[in-house]
Amino acid sequence: MRRSRGGTVVLTAAAILAALAVFLPVWWVFVSSTRPGNSYVENMTPLSWLAFVPVGGDLTNYSGLLSGPFLTGLFNSFLVAGLTIALGLAIAVPAAYALATIDFPGRGVVFTFIVVVAMIPFDAIAIPLSSLFQDWHLSDSYAGLVLPALANGFAIFVLRQFFLGIPAELLEAAEVDGLGRIATLWRIVLPLSKPALIGAGMMLFLSQWQAYLWPLLIGTSPERQLAPIALANLSTLFTVDLGQIFAGSFVLTIIPMVLLLFFQKQYTESLSTTGLKG
Amino acid sequence: MRAATATRRTAARPAGSGRRRRRSVRTTLVALAMLSPALIALVLMRVVPMISAVSESFRHVSLATGASEFDGLSNYTYLLTDSGFHSVLVVTLVFNLVLNPAIVLLSTALALLTAQRLPLVGLWRSMIFVPAAVPGAVVALIWSTALQPDGLVNALLEVVGLPPQPFLTSASQAAFSIGIMVTWGALGYWMIFVIAGLKDIPDSLYEAAALDGAGWWRRLFSITLPLLKRPMAFVLIACTVGSFLLFAPVQILTKGGPNGSTNLIMFDIYNRTYLLGDVGVGQAEVVILMLLLAVIVAVQFRLLREEKA
Repeated sequence: MRRSRGGTVVLTAAAILAALAVFLPVWWVFVSSTRPGNSYVENMTPLSWLAFVPVGGDLTNYSGLLSGPFLTGLFNSFLVAGLTIALGLAIAVPAAYALATIDFPGRGVVFTFIVVVAMIPFDAIAIPLSSLFQDWHLSDSYAGLVLPALANGFAIFVLRQFFLGIPAELLEAAEVDGLGRIATLWRIVLPLSKPALIGAGMMLFLSQWQAYLWPLLIGTSPERQLAPIALANLSTLFTVDLGQIFAGSFVLTIIPMVLLLFFQKQYTESLSTTGLKG
Repeated sequence: MRAATATRRTAARPAGSGRRRRRSVRTTLVALAMLSPALIALVLMRVVPMISAVSESFRHVSLATGASEFDGLSNYTYLLTDSGFHSVLVVTLVFNLVLNPAIVLLSTALALLTAQRLPLVGLWRSMIFVPAAVPGAVVALIWSTALQPDGLVNALLEVVGLPPQPFLTSASQAAFSIGIMVTWGALGYWMIFVIAGLKDIPDSLYEAAALDGAGWWRRLFSITLPLLKRPMAFVLIACTVGSFLLFAPVQILTKGGPNGSTNLIMFDIYNRTYLLGDVGVGQAEVVILMLLLAVIVAVQFRLLREEKA
């Protein structure tokens, strides 16, 4: 579509303005995290350029975080997210592959069931599930933190859509060559499916990284707290060290940001699959 | 849903009749084996808790003995006649009625803007997407510091000559403040779905419209927006479900206050179940929440479908 030069300038200015406005709080958090303790306030009233330029600061807030419960939380968050990706894919991949390539009676019913159940919002049933976990002796355990995130119908859906796009001739050729179903999946299909695996993996990761209600209910002892809970607890202490809150917030933000930097394309493509074809 | 495309592929396999039956039993077993971990997980982690919420909502758990007994509809009648619950419903509904349309409109506007061919547009789009990666609890913490008396927002207000605002500590501004942080965290995420919808609109439509001399606004209202109805409907529905379940900012920042002005339904459920120890009433409220969501999603589906016809 052709556009006048003036139009391009106006639209570009609008896009830059929107991007800066959305990004500004994150940047402000980063700069404030380099101001020891609550000293960021000195740059706020009146607002100084030092509130947005990270010069003259130090990393005391970050070293302060390292000696507290936040470090344990961060370790737990990584552990739980890593287990969720590995086990979540191990469950979703075979399920999606069976749905995409095996013609068996009741397949339509099973697929509909998975899609419908995937639409039950997890947080709505988190509270009843947490009382069940108490009965099942799973509260306050890593298993308790990981298990609910493994039931991810959207990951199955995304992988199935991708597997459907792999040409049937390729799978038949593998079969003719005497490759079994599992070997075909492992040696032929999975190497072709990196974008979908990354997309589904990101969905599993973010579902865990962003969780708050469930880890609050289940990871009750300090040794099993996840990072967002540990950070929120820091913010409700009698004397709040906002510098540490800034630093912790920035750490929890930069980690998924870096992952998205690499995998944004695969992740957003997987997301759009769930939105448009569902 | 496109189950049909899948059937076409595998149905075409030839096989002898006797061998075929044996083979089909075997393949069914293989398929079920591959599916069973996922199905077991979905049933135990999603379906069972839903059923348990319904059955627990008809029971009363004694705080003193821990014994649970059937109690009919009394949890529901208690909730439905409780004025505290009425105000929770009003706060939740008003909050959603304002928040969700605002998110849909803003994310559509940003999608239209960043889907244009502009210098460095990928960078601007990524910057808008960044908050989508920030965990909800961290969004709450970032904005609670930004909305402090000496935080970022008041500092910016001062620069343009406006008086400082109380935000989270004022009954009239707290819900609005939570709305701001939720919008900030959600915009980029929903924008992605609208952009995907934009990419599905064939270029030929725009070319034809340009030949007919249709201007930018005309193309927006006659082609783009009508064809965006499906992704926008999806965003509205999914976003409504998410906002009804909003919990982290309320629990971390306001605990439902000041004066119950941010007492959204998820926090009220948490509050009744864990802080007041009223498990039966909490589960009844979970069931009401799920019914409410089902009704709202069904109504939105119906309205958006009719509009299309």
